Amino acid sequence: MRLRVGARTDSGRVRDMNEDVYIARADQGLFVVCDGMGGAPAGEIASQIAAETIVEHLYAADRDAADRGAEGRAPNGCGVLPQTSRLADAMRRSNEFIYLQAQHDPEQAEMGTTAVGAWIMQRIASVAHVGDSRAYLWYDNHLERLTCDHALGEPQHVLVRALGREPEVAVDVSEVPLKAGDYLLLCSDGLTRMLPDRAVADAIGQLREPQRICDYLIAAANRRGGDDNITVVVVEVMGNWWQRIATSWKRRPGGGHDAAAHPEV
Amino acid sequence: MPRLILKSDNRVLKDHVVGAMSTIGRRPDNTIIIDDAAVSGHHACVFRDGDDLVVEDLESTNGTFVNDKRVTRQPLRRGDVIAIGKHTLLVERVSGDAPAGGDAAKGLMSNPGDTIFLDAKKHQALLAMLSDADVFATSGGSPARIGVLRVVGGDTTPSEYRLEAHTSLIGRSDTALVRLHGWLKPKVAVAIARGADGYVATLMGGKTLINSQPLDGRCKLKDGDVLQVNGLTMEFHLSG
Repeated sequence: MRLRVGARTDSGRVRDMNEDVYIARADQGLFVVCDGMGGAPAGEIASQIAAETIVEHLYAADRDAADRGAEGRAPNGCGVLPQTSRLADAMRRSNEFIYLQAQHDPEQAEMGTTAVGAWIMQRIASVAHVGDSRAYLWYDNHLERLTCDHALGEPQHVLVRALGREPEVAVDVSEVPLKAGDYLLLCSDGLTRMLPDRAVADAIGQLREPQRICDYLIAAANRRGGDDNITVVVVEVMGNWWQRIATSWKRRPGGGHDAAAHPEV
Repeated sequence: MPRLILKSDNRVLKDHVVGAMSTIGRRPDNTIIIDDAAVSGHHACVFRDGDDLVVEDLESTNGTFVNDKRVTRQPLRRGDVIAIGKHTLLVERVSGDAPAGGDAAKGLMSNPGDTIFLDAKKHQALLAMLSDADVFATSGGSPARIGVLRVVGGDTTPSEYRLEAHTSLIGRSDTALVRLHGWLKPKVAVAIARGADGYVATLMGGKTLINSQPLDGRCKLKDGDVLQVNGLTMEFHLSG
């Protein structure tokens, strides 16, 4: 299965610095978005450490990590694939690491970060998250949210779970079998607080090319105010050459059925 | 979380959530703006003092009244009525007694617009206060019933498979729940994912029919659906 990937992060229109970090490793099918908090410079540090340690732990993790009881659990309590457990385990280890670091340095005492990660293996995406960064699945002009925010709603935005704030953290996981023509989108709340899901769905349906989708969505979020740092990672599932031809054959010119989004980037 | 309801002539104008500090006055930089000539630019403020919610008059020209008594500084209780000019503020809720909750709410307002973290203790306290809070699910639901695939045609054992895992595979792969035998069979023909609102089958490689229709991409499974995967016929059921 071939993946085509686009990614971009932007500080937005209001903030001076960017506390968001992403990792996009198409060859390994690994994608992570982290949105740090805790003020300068702690927020930047937290998200950077999180992204790095998640990847590091994922590869360093004992392959039998899943057997040691540190098993990932889907929110509905059902069993998950070993790679899903490993992704969740990597997030938990990252949490410990940031937490300990924060204990050592008073300047970083308040640091924390969200994390959403997707690891695609044998055509199944394992998705894990903590906080309010989100994962979406787009298919057939339909956008499905794969994560639920660990946050309280308006007027203030309050995280109830984050990496690095407590010695232990609960990681939510899910699994998505992928097919050719699917798009996986990971983003920070700087996107979703500015744009409705409908606009995101339309942008994917009309633009199709992952990097153009990212560029367009960031520009659109900035046009709406860009209140926060914005990060978008888009992964297109390409399938085989004959599937690609079949997919493009099925697509009507112009893509989406709804012209609400006007890609003008 | 403490709330004040701003009224004028018994009409509700605004429902205001009080954070660490709310100011009341005519000028636009107040938290609660009252456009009334009898109200001073910065007339009064409402803030938390430990567990108490307190109103303080900011040396206003026409005074601040609580339950018709002029006050300079007064702890508030639920149901108190603050009168400022022709407007009244009904104290709808005073923060809970839990000090942790007070801290949580203080945290809420100290960084407006910022993302703030709420630790588990504060979270509990806040939830207790915000009975009607707009809390996004912190844990997803699960389909109340477990899906089962019952083999009705073809040769494989056992004849019933419970779809308990998040993802169940049908194929030749040795990680598959439903094993297909024979080298020409796809490694994974179909993946069935269990989500919050049911089961979804995704075509992964094999030729698959659902109720005699070719599966194209993704399909939500309904009770009684018949799956035909590479010579194996199964019925999908939701068991209680």
